[in-house]
Amino acid sequence: MAEPKHTVKTQAGASLQEIGVRKRLNAWAANHQLVAVETLMRLLSKPLSSLLTWMVIAIALTMPGALWMALDNMEQLSGRFQASGRITLYLTPKATEEQGQQLSDRIAALDSVANTEFIDADTALNDFRDNSGLQAALDFLPENPLPAVILVEPPLGIEQAALLRLIEQLKSYQLVDSVQLDMAWVERLQAMLALAERLIGVLGVLLALAILLVVGNTIRLAIAARVDEIRVVKLVGGTNAYVRRPFLYTGLWYGMVGGLLAWLLLILCWALLNGPVADLAELYGSGFELKPLSAAAAMVLLLAAMLLGWLGAWWSVSRHLDHIEP
Amino acid sequence: MTMVQFDRVGKRYPGGKEALSGINFELARGEFAFLTGHSGAGKSTLLKLMMLMERPSRGQVFVDGQNLGRLRPGQIPYLRRKVGVVFQNHQLLFDRSVYDNVALPLQIAGYTPAEAGRRVRAALDSVGLLGMEKRNPIELSGGEQQRVGIARAVVNKPALLLADEPTGNLDPELSAEIMNLFLRFQQVGVTVLIASHDIALIERMGHRRLILDHGHLHDGQVPAAGGIYG
Repeated sequence: MAEPKHTVKTQAGASLQEIGVRKRLNAWAANHQLVAVETLMRLLSKPLSSLLTWMVIAIALTMPGALWMALDNMEQLSGRFQASGRITLYLTPKATEEQGQQLSDRIAALDSVANTEFIDADTALNDFRDNSGLQAALDFLPENPLPAVILVEPPLGIEQAALLRLIEQLKSYQLVDSVQLDMAWVERLQAMLALAERLIGVLGVLLALAILLVVGNTIRLAIAARVDEIRVVKLVGGTNAYVRRPFLYTGLWYGMVGGLLAWLLLILCWALLNGPVADLAELYGSGFELKPLSAAAAMVLLLAAMLLGWLGAWWSVSRHLDHIEP
Repeated sequence: MTMVQFDRVGKRYPGGKEALSGINFELARGEFAFLTGHSGAGKSTLLKLMMLMERPSRGQVFVDGQNLGRLRPGQIPYLRRKVGVVFQNHQLLFDRSVYDNVALPLQIAGYTPAEAGRRVRAALDSVGLLGMEKRNPIELSGGEQQRVGIARAVVNKPALLLADEPTGNLDPELSAEIMNLFLRFQQVGVTVLIASHDIALIERMGHRRLILDHGHLHDGQVPAAGGIYG
């Protein structure tokens, strides 16, 4: 037998220094890359069982995702109503057109007002006549029963307290007969939306927990199948981090592919619902369109899925892996 | 220079079985020694203490100047990288090639693939298995599998090489071949300790003998003879 070619005279410590920090860092990065690819390949080599886990994750993510998409659309709707949630000032019959216009301009200059519109009594009557279909009845009236009106539009997202202060101020003008704010139903809608948001939050937490358990259990089985390998790796000096790495990447892949599938499912939901919703909106004379999940929301979904997969793997690994000793 | 030192080491397993008691011995750097004794005498336990696969109940173990009792769990992998181990059942992984089995310790220690490649081929060459890199270990004979195990144990150039019944399943001729391999590593400076109950082979080879008897150690003679047997 030939003389051994590699001399064993150098000690292990020295041989590690030989390698150099940069090379070791590169090797570490290369190992991450290798493990990432290897674990993905391992999952793809068993497509059916992997797909099962992926679909469970995807469905668990799709449910809160779809509800969230619906909520987002409802908020968009309520936002439109809020924009039209104007304050109507009915002026006293004594007010002349000139006085009304002046008051309207003064109010428009206020900080807590975005915009005003003055509608004199004649214009109001004409509008009413055109829109109400009561033309014949109105023609019988001896004089114009409608007062002049100033429409005041508070800025979007004005706070409740500021709004109430504004109303008090508007009431104090002498020319103003009464102030009407039709916001109650908007408030009710918003309260319902807040409730729905909370419900989605609770549902989301429960389903996130389900994902953690599913990934955790899948990783537990993967660990059980590779006990021999883990023993050998620990025996020849593999750190816990090294042993954990492939399982954490596996969890990350489960989450990521599950998240992508969930995204696809949400796009599918949107495509299926968009047509009927648009038809319905048209019947109500609204140009409302179902918005798909925004790119930002999709990214959040994907990142959340990856995080959940990784956490599930971490949970499983820290429960089972450290106990496997050679 | 001392490579291994046991200082009044005792090991009691849960359940009260006293596996080792009052073990005192030293191995000098570059020494070659056998550890013998009846089965159940505590040979495996003694080897495991040096790898921290077990921790002693009493006393202290030093490897390469390090007090193993002071090592935190996170430091254990770095100790194991300095110690090569060969097992009777060789602990190879059958889901990968011979090359990948031998490269495992290097991959773990963070070698680049190029460097690892050189070292793996050198290690396989030193055990006479160059050219079998791509084979799966399951296709190899018992003696060849054992040599893959040895290549994996030495690929990281460990300072200390431990073997637990490395010839347990081999016929006398193959056993002698394996023992000669270990001698070659000792000749390039590795400290070698081999647990074996193959008394006939050990006596023919000479060298220092540590004899375990029911958990007690008797340091055997250091014979003058000690060349390569074969």
